[in-house]
Amino acid sequence: MNSSFVTRAVSFTAIIAMLLGYNQVLYAREKDEEIARLEAELAAAEQAAAATAAQSELYKDGTYNGSGEGFGGAIDVAVTVENGSIASIDILSHDGEDGPYFAEAVQIVEDMLNEQSADVDTISGATFSSTGIRTAVAEALEKAEA
Amino acid sequence: MTKKQMRQRHNLTRRIIQLVFFLFYPSLFTAAFTGVKYIFTQLGAGNALALTSFVSVLLTLCIYTIVFGRFFCGYACAFGSFGDLIHGIYLTICKKLKKKPKKISAIASRRLSVIKYLLLAVILGACFFGTYGTFQYSPWDVFSMLTALKPRVQGYIIGWILLLLIMIGMAVKERFFCRFLCPMGAVFSLLPVLPLFSLHRDRDNCRKGCRACTSCCPSEVELPARGAVEVSGDCFQCGKCTDTCPGGNVHTGIHIIKGNEIWFTILRAAILIIICLVLNL
Repeated sequence: MNSSFVTRAVSFTAIIAMLLGYNQVLYAREKDEEIARLEAELAAAEQAAAATAAQSELYKDGTYNGSGEGFGGAIDVAVTVENGSIASIDILSHDGEDGPYFAEAVQIVEDMLNEQSADVDTISGATFSSTGIRTAVAEALEKAEA
Repeated sequence: MTKKQMRQRHNLTRRIIQLVFFLFYPSLFTAAFTGVKYIFTQLGAGNALALTSFVSVLLTLCIYTIVFGRFFCGYACAFGSFGDLIHGIYLTICKKLKKKPKKISAIASRRLSVIKYLLLAVILGACFFGTYGTFQYSPWDVFSMLTALKPRVQGYIIGWILLLLIMIGMAVKERFFCRFLCPMGAVFSLLPVLPLFSLHRDRDNCRKGCRACTSCCPSEVELPARGAVEVSGDCFQCGKCTDTCPGGNVHTGIHIIKGNEIWFTILRAAILIIICLVLNL
């Protein structure tokens, strides 16, 4: 359909401006909630740290490999355990995964490090790739279980 | 070089560029649309919009389209290229069997092309109200499984059936999906494409009653006159009009491109590939 460039340009700019404005409003609101949440989290983390210090180790130290089925093929990972907890998760190969999808799926690594387990939700929009990473890490952790 | 040779040269260049993008970047179109869906899902849930990799692809392709028009659709979209292939096979079979290929009238096409906007509205509405994710019927998901050579049938039956129906449409009408159904194309067609690089025609030079450009156009575009601020949302830069016009009246806003269209095409393809490499798409 043919229509004026000016009309389109104005509409487009207005839409972008509104989306950015929307983000700003949400960001401002979130700040207050964030402060309250962080304070609660800090208290909980201090408790958990005290608890795990007394608990026996979950995983044996070392580096373990695992493999999982992603979108277009296998994903290989290496999980490193130090002092009984997961120190790092490295993705060794992901040939079958597409650029933007894999970039999204990789966020699951941070979740797994925070939870110290492979039992986390997949990343929406990149289900297959993140499932592949998760399966691979789970396989590696099975070998690491004390 | 005769006109026919020029046309064949341009066509060959286009097919090669389409093949390159199909092999190396087959999921750009679906990643970009995932970005659109994400924005609406977040809006509906009252969440902030983060610059996810899908949104990055979307933004990149939108900016590229604003500058160069829907070159992406005509040269880099794997689904569009797939449609061209199927249509090409259909035409070849028709030729061999000496049968006339089916045609849809221009008026009917124009009416049907509104469907993609409705489809876009329905999908984005579902995202906004949080009901999109529950069904797996996207023919695009199924198509990307094909390109990754990992077809999964369980749970995707509807998607496969839709893909099959779309393929029948693609065979019969050039760019069937792009014109009538593509929600990403609907988004692109609404962008403020700079008149600078889009195609216009010198109406004063046109022969009386000649409609060669519109007739050979896969989108049946009525090209705007030189200097007009009108932008055609359905032109994806395939260049057939430029090659077909008996008076050579079709051109972009840049003088030096006239006669050198093939280099401009290669340049645009190169720029898009460089963008994909730099942004690691």
